[in-house]
Amino acid sequence: MVEPAVALFGEAYEKAARVLEELLRESGARYTLLLDRKGFVLVHKEALWAPKPPALDSLATLIAGNAAATQALARMLGEPRFNELLHQGSTHGLYVEEVGELALLVIVFDSSAPVGRVKLYGKRAAQALEGITQEAVVSPGTLGIDSEYREGASALLDELFGN
Amino acid sequence: MSTINFAAREINFKIVYYGPGMSGKTTNLKWVFQQIPQNRKGEMVSLATEDERTLFFDFLPVDLGEVKGFKTRFHLYTVPGQVFYNASRKLILRGVDGIVFVADSAPNRLRANAESMRNLRENLAEYGIKLEDIPIVLQANKRDTPDALPVEMIQAVIDPEKRFPIFEAVATTGMGVFETLKAVSREVLSRVASS
Ligand SMILES: Nc1nc2c(ncn2[C@@H]2O[C@H](COP(=O)(O)OP(=O)(O)OP(=O)(O)O)[C@@H](O)[C@H]2O)c(=O)[nH]1
Ligand SMILES: [Mg+2]
Repeated sequence: MVEPAVALFGEAYEKAARVLEELLRESGARYTLLLDRKGFVLVHKEALWAPKPPALDSLATLIAGNAAATQALARMLGEPRFNELLHQGSTHGLYVEEVGELALLVIVFDSSAPVGRVKLYGKRAAQALEGITQEAVVSPGTLGIDSEYREGASALLDELFGN
Repeated sequence: MSTINFAAREINFKIVYYGPGMSGKTTNLKWVFQQIPQNRKGEMVSLATEDERTLFFDFLPVDLGEVKGFKTRFHLYTVPGQVFYNASRKLILRGVDGIVFVADSAPNRLRANAESMRNLRENLAEYGIKLEDIPIVLQANKRDTPDALPVEMIQAVIDPEKRFPIFEAVATTGMGVFETLKAVSREVLSRVASS
């Protein structure tokens, strides 16, 4: 892993999950996700009333790609960054806020949630999440990945891709 | 898509298929997508032009399963090989853990293979990564081309020092596709375990 990885589990995971739950409640949004910049989902929450979300892996990848392209555009125009990303259709909206250097907060909402409210609580949540993700930055070596892990994974590779 | 238990520990790896335009990167991913059982893969996302050239990336998540309490996943990406899409190519390399370089065995693509490898080295350098810092596996694809060049000749232009393993492939029929992916996955895993 070339970049520092954010590994959210245990208490950090619980904390981040609580921030997302509160964000859903306060903003009235449907879904919210915390992603790393590579497009991996770290935590996600869905409102109880919301319909089943689309494939989160795909959503996360497209948003991370989109955010990376947007930042590249900003730099080309001489801006250090564009602060937020907002897409709005007739019924659905998507709001993305940076969470420090390493993560992205995504909020999917519909017309029942005013965009102003989504942005307000989104920015607040992003701030709370920044500290949590910073504390969760680890080098993979400290995760307890060892040669036993490697052998186990290797066996699974054989199972999936054949010998 | 399977539901994901985020309370469990997860390890995610990003593997990028690189190489010149039309060398068969997307075809590799399509084959993997077709062959892997439903419960081990997510949706395949392709951002392509109307004539099926990759515009931004292809994406396929593959679930390896659980190892020592770690849910282990590979995210496979392809880059757009066409020269003028370099800005997008660079973005896809962000956070890469392993690379499959798909070379084209056709004689008239020899130079394109070499240029793509040089481009890879330059783009990685922008992230402060050297070629030897990261697991790389080479694939000589399109071995079914009637006038396919000898593998040694392809290797001589993309990896003259023979630093990386090379696999022969015909991505359209799946020959060599899993072997290549398995090799890069293994190297990626071994780097993590030893770091
Ligand atoms: N004969 C033959 N054709 C192949 C093989 N692999 C891929 N092709 C064909 O080559 C063409 C290009 O393949 P793609 O997989 O789209 O190439 P790509 O590397 O993704 O190209 P870009 O997206 O432009 O970078 C398609 O028509 C494939 O069917 C192979 O092993 N043998
Ligand atoms: Mg392609």
